[in-house]
Amino acid sequence: MNSALLPVSLMSYVGLSAVIFFIGVGGVLLRRNPLIILMSIELMWNSANLLFLAFARVWLNNAGHIFAFLVITVAAAEAAIGLAIVVVVFRRTHHVDVDDVRLLKG
Amino acid sequence: MPFAHHVMGVEGAYPLLYAVWLLPFAGAVACWAFGPQLRRLAGPLASAVIGAAFAGTLLMWGFATQSVGGALGAHVSLGAWTRGFDFGLLMDPLALIWCIIITGVGFLIHVYSIGYMDGDRAYARFFAYMNFFVFAMLTLVLSDNVVGLLVGWGLVGLASYLLIGFWFERPSAVAAARKAFVINVVGDVGMMFAIFAIYAHVGSIGYGDIFANVPALGGALFLICVGLFIGAAAKSAQVPLHTWLPDAMEGPTPVSALIHAATMVTAGVYLVARFWPLFSSSPDAQELVATIGGITALLGAILGTAQWDIKRILAYSTMSQIGYMIMGVGVGAYEGGVSHFFTHAFFKAQLFLGSGLIIHALHNEQDIRRMGGLRARMPFAFWAMTLGVLAICGIPGFSAFFSKDAIIYGALRHGHPWLFWTGIVTAGITAYYMFRMLFVTFLGEYRGDVDPSDLGIRHPELAGTPLPAAPSHGESAEEPHAPAWIMEAPVAILMVPSVFAGWLLFGERSPWHAFFAQQFRPEATVATGIPELAASAIVLVMVLAGIGIAYYRYASKPALENATGRLQQESVHMPAALSAAFYFDTALDILFVKPAQGLGTVFGRWVDPKVIDGAVREIVLSCRWLGHLFRSFETGLVRAYALIVVFGAACFLAYYAFARGL
Amino acid sequence: MMVLLALVVLPIAAGFALYALPRADRTLAKGIATGVAAVTFLAGIALRDQSMSVRWLARPFTAAFHFADDGIGFWIALLLALCTLCAVLAANVPRLRDFLALMLLLEGAMMGVFLARDLLVFALFWDLMLVPVFLGLLGWGEHPSTAWRYLIYNFAGGLTLLLSTAAFGVAFGSTDVIGRSGLAHLGYIWGPWIFAGFAFAFLVKTPIWPLHTWMPPTYSDTPPPMVAVVSAVQSKAGLYGFIVVGMALLPEAMHAATYVMLWLGLISLLYGGFVALVQTDAKRIVAYSSLSHLGLILVAIFSFNALALRGALIYVIAHGLFNAVLFLVLGFIEEREETRSLPRLGGLARANPKIAGAFAIGALAALGLPGLIGFAGELIMLTGIFSAGYFWPALIALVPIVLAAAYMLRLFQDIMQGPEIPDVPIRRDLTLIEGLAVAPLVLAMVFFGVNPHALTTFDTTLYVSASELAP
Repeated sequence: MNSALLPVSLMSYVGLSAVIFFIGVGGVLLRRNPLIILMSIELMWNSANLLFLAFARVWLNNAGHIFAFLVITVAAAEAAIGLAIVVVVFRRTHHVDVDDVRLLKG
Repeated sequence: MPFAHHVMGVEGAYPLLYAVWLLPFAGAVACWAFGPQLRRLAGPLASAVIGAAFAGTLLMWGFATQSVGGALGAHVSLGAWTRGFDFGLLMDPLALIWCIIITGVGFLIHVYSIGYMDGDRAYARFFAYMNFFVFAMLTLVLSDNVVGLLVGWGLVGLASYLLIGFWFERPSAVAAARKAFVINVVGDVGMMFAIFAIYAHVGSIGYGDIFANVPALGGALFLICVGLFIGAAAKSAQVPLHTWLPDAMEGPTPVSALIHAATMVTAGVYLVARFWPLFSSSPDAQELVATIGGITALLGAILGTAQWDIKRILAYSTMSQIGYMIMGVGVGAYEGGVSHFFTHAFFKAQLFLGSGLIIHALHNEQDIRRMGGLRARMPFAFWAMTLGVLAICGIPGFSAFFSKDAIIYGALRHGHPWLFWTGIVTAGITAYYMFRMLFVTFLGEYRGDVDPSDLGIRHPELAGTPLPAAPSHGESAEEPHAPAWIMEAPVAILMVPSVFAGWLLFGERSPWHAFFAQQFRPEATVATGIPELAASAIVLVMVLAGIGIAYYRYASKPALENATGRLQQESVHMPAALSAAFYFDTALDILFVKPAQGLGTVFGRWVDPKVIDGAVREIVLSCRWLGHLFRSFETGLVRAYALIVVFGAACFLAYYAFARGL
Repeated sequence: MMVLLALVVLPIAAGFALYALPRADRTLAKGIATGVAAVTFLAGIALRDQSMSVRWLARPFTAAFHFADDGIGFWIALLLALCTLCAVLAANVPRLRDFLALMLLLEGAMMGVFLARDLLVFALFWDLMLVPVFLGLLGWGEHPSTAWRYLIYNFAGGLTLLLSTAAFGVAFGSTDVIGRSGLAHLGYIWGPWIFAGFAFAFLVKTPIWPLHTWMPPTYSDTPPPMVAVVSAVQSKAGLYGFIVVGMALLPEAMHAATYVMLWLGLISLLYGGFVALVQTDAKRIVAYSSLSHLGLILVAIFSFNALALRGALIYVIAHGLFNAVLFLVLGFIEEREETRSLPRLGGLARANPKIAGAFAIGALAALGLPGLIGFAGELIMLTGIFSAGYFWPALIALVPIVLAAAYMLRLFQDIMQGPEIPDVPIRRDLTLIEGLAVAPLVLAMVFFGVNPHALTTFDTTLYVSASELAP
């Protein structure tokens, strides 16, 4: 491992990433507001991005950067679809609570 | 299996043979397709066609009896289905005899039908069927192979079916036709079995190949003979496959005369005679054939004594006489069996046509209890019937005397004393019931105006008489009727051979014997102890006894004076077993028809919907149960899904962390 | 090449094109459909030793859109073309245009099955031929559940067929194999499983007991012209498959399955015969009789005998012809009398002698009357089975012949004979078009019944090497 390239230790990155990820998971599991859930999902995406970049730096491999861009793109698309759904649901029910939308119940 | 083809008959181009064979078919097609245009011409046309075929048959005589280097008769090849299935026509003496009867007697019956069927709505259709029957029967006897024989066999069955059910609006006719056909299919199936076995051992279906390879059949020989005989028994109404024949009298009377007396029902005799090399090599099969024949002869005669329907009496007598023929060919007296076929065709056709004259005159009355005293009103019919009855009883000088005695004595000569005595007893019973019919019909007073219940007719509509308004007559009263002679002339012509045909067979040096010397190899005989003349005398005594009893019961003075009362007594006290024809129908119904229908019902109502579909339904239900199970995971709650995802991810992590040792 | 294209592609293309016609113009639709069917039939006659191949897959195994005809495929394709032509002529249903389009699609799909030389193409068309029947049942049938039952049963078969095809391709490296017997054998590990998949599909399609319960409702619900084609030809796809796939490609597995198949065939032929005795729905009688007859063909195929194989082809054609006639005629009767229940029919022969005549010939051929094609097939098949040493199967197979006589006569007599039931004021006999539709089938039955030689000349070594044939 080349420490000169990475002033802060890798484990710090990994740890931070894990913390952010679990904050995201917690947000998805516990919150009922879809906007917050979307934001939590964003957090998970970005924790992954952080790892990509950290490891790209460590391994001196630009693939990580590319994947980070890919993730940002996908996340943007996902946010767009998610927000669209939220808007549609809001128009019909005038309030949004994920627990109230249960059309897929088997 | 390579082998040289053995063809019977002298190969050649015989245009006449094609003509004899195909003319009736052309006639049938013409009558069927152009019936509305031909109208009343259909009858004469159909008759002329059969007449031409008869002339052609006679012209073939020389070819049929020619013998070149061991090959006997005339042969034509017709092509093959596939290897081993070669077809052809063969006209040899045996086929010639049958052809003469089929076309000759057939011609007379066609002419008779012009009068009998006059005014019927389906006049042309009737003649189309009749011509088709003749074609089918010729196919049967002219084939040079067993499959062609079976084709003819099935087609005569079809013709018989069509003609029994000719008046298809009558439920009884429809039922009789179906019964006849199905029982005949049982026979066909027996023959099919024989064909399999023959082909498997010989690799060919031609008579020549079969007869040249009899030793190759080995242990299958007996089974083959049994299969063939099942066919013969069904077609020739032998016990226990005889029950269709009395019912077949639902057809018009000329049909009964041609198909169910003179020709088709004797096909079994032809079959056994044709396959004589097989039967002669299998004593067991011969024993079976002869025994069945004897039983049938006796049974038919016994049942003949209990009938009141004039056509059913004749039907049972036909059955009994064919029993004689089968017995004859069964014991090895082929010549006797064939001779009896020859004479029987004439006198039985005459009897049926004579009865047709009566039925026609009495407007479809068939119950002899409602006849009586017809001698004065119908002298021609009386004499026709009398000559026929004398012939069938075997009065010396009449035709059956020669042929029937040849069979009865043949049974003794070939070592079957029991059949000999059976034949003698049967001859006596035959004389009794035939004279009973004659006396009740023609002597005494006319009883047509007596109340049916006074005659012991319990169910007039069920007593075997057709429905009152039979569809055949009266619908076109304004149309000119055919002259009376057109029905009487054929009967008159038939009288000649039915009296004299037997003389052909008389004496050691008759042309008939020369005829058969080429066809059959004489069978071994045993010492009898009874000379032929003595046997004839015993038969004659029995016959006279039968006539005497019939005279005492029906023609003597006291009997005639109280005819109505006596007939009523006899009807009421008829043993149940006799009126039920020994319960054969019931037995067949219980043994075969009911179980088959029961199985069908069980399969169709229970196995299909309950067992098979039930099993399928179980699969469907278990799928549904699984669906219900998995459905409980689908709460629709997004966060629950998320939790499951997390839980799954955690499981994976745990697995990699702990199981794989990180 | 052109001929094969005309056979497979033309009906499908024309079927889709038919939807472009005006919905209401029945005459135009019928005219065009008849024309296409006639062209296809003519192409079928011209079909002899044609071949056409377009590459398709290279991995994971090679496959090609390969079509050609062989001895058996040729005759079945011709039968199909004839039956479709007659059925299209006879068709008289509501929404005729859509129905005729389905008929042509069905013809094209089945042509694909019988002419494909590649297993994958075979499987493709196999599933394709379900669609028109399914749509026909949905659109014109009486109960939608029948359509689903048909689809699910046959789709399950199609699935195992596809799996087996894929497995065969992977194991052998190519699926372009139909019509080439004596290939490298697949061995004993894969062979039986692959064969089992094929066999299941074939048994469902034929159908054979106990996989037959989709068939009676399908046959009685499908509109008559379509069921004429389905029962006449589609039911042969399974038997054809046993010959060209089972016998030619998987002989060891086929041999190993002999006894199971003989039993299934024998059960089918008895079972169908007995049930047909007591049914009261005319079309169901014919349906169960089909079960009986097809069981017999299965026995013949599994007796591994050249004669039985030739007889089987005759009987395949025979069954197609007489079933087509019977269903078409029953369709005419149902259209006129508005029932097909035997107790409610009777005495039609008096007013409808031509219908009665056609019906009689069909029924007689079905019960194996000598002189018609059914007899020739039955006799040669059974002789072959017997010659192969199967004594008892041949003997048992004789029973349904008697049963056939009983139920076919019952069918004919209950409808046509007896006292006329006077609930229809005017009974119309066969029209010219209807007559034209039935006549070719009847003529073919008589022609091949008198001499089926043409049907017996194909080369059996295409399907089975001589050494594997029983004597």
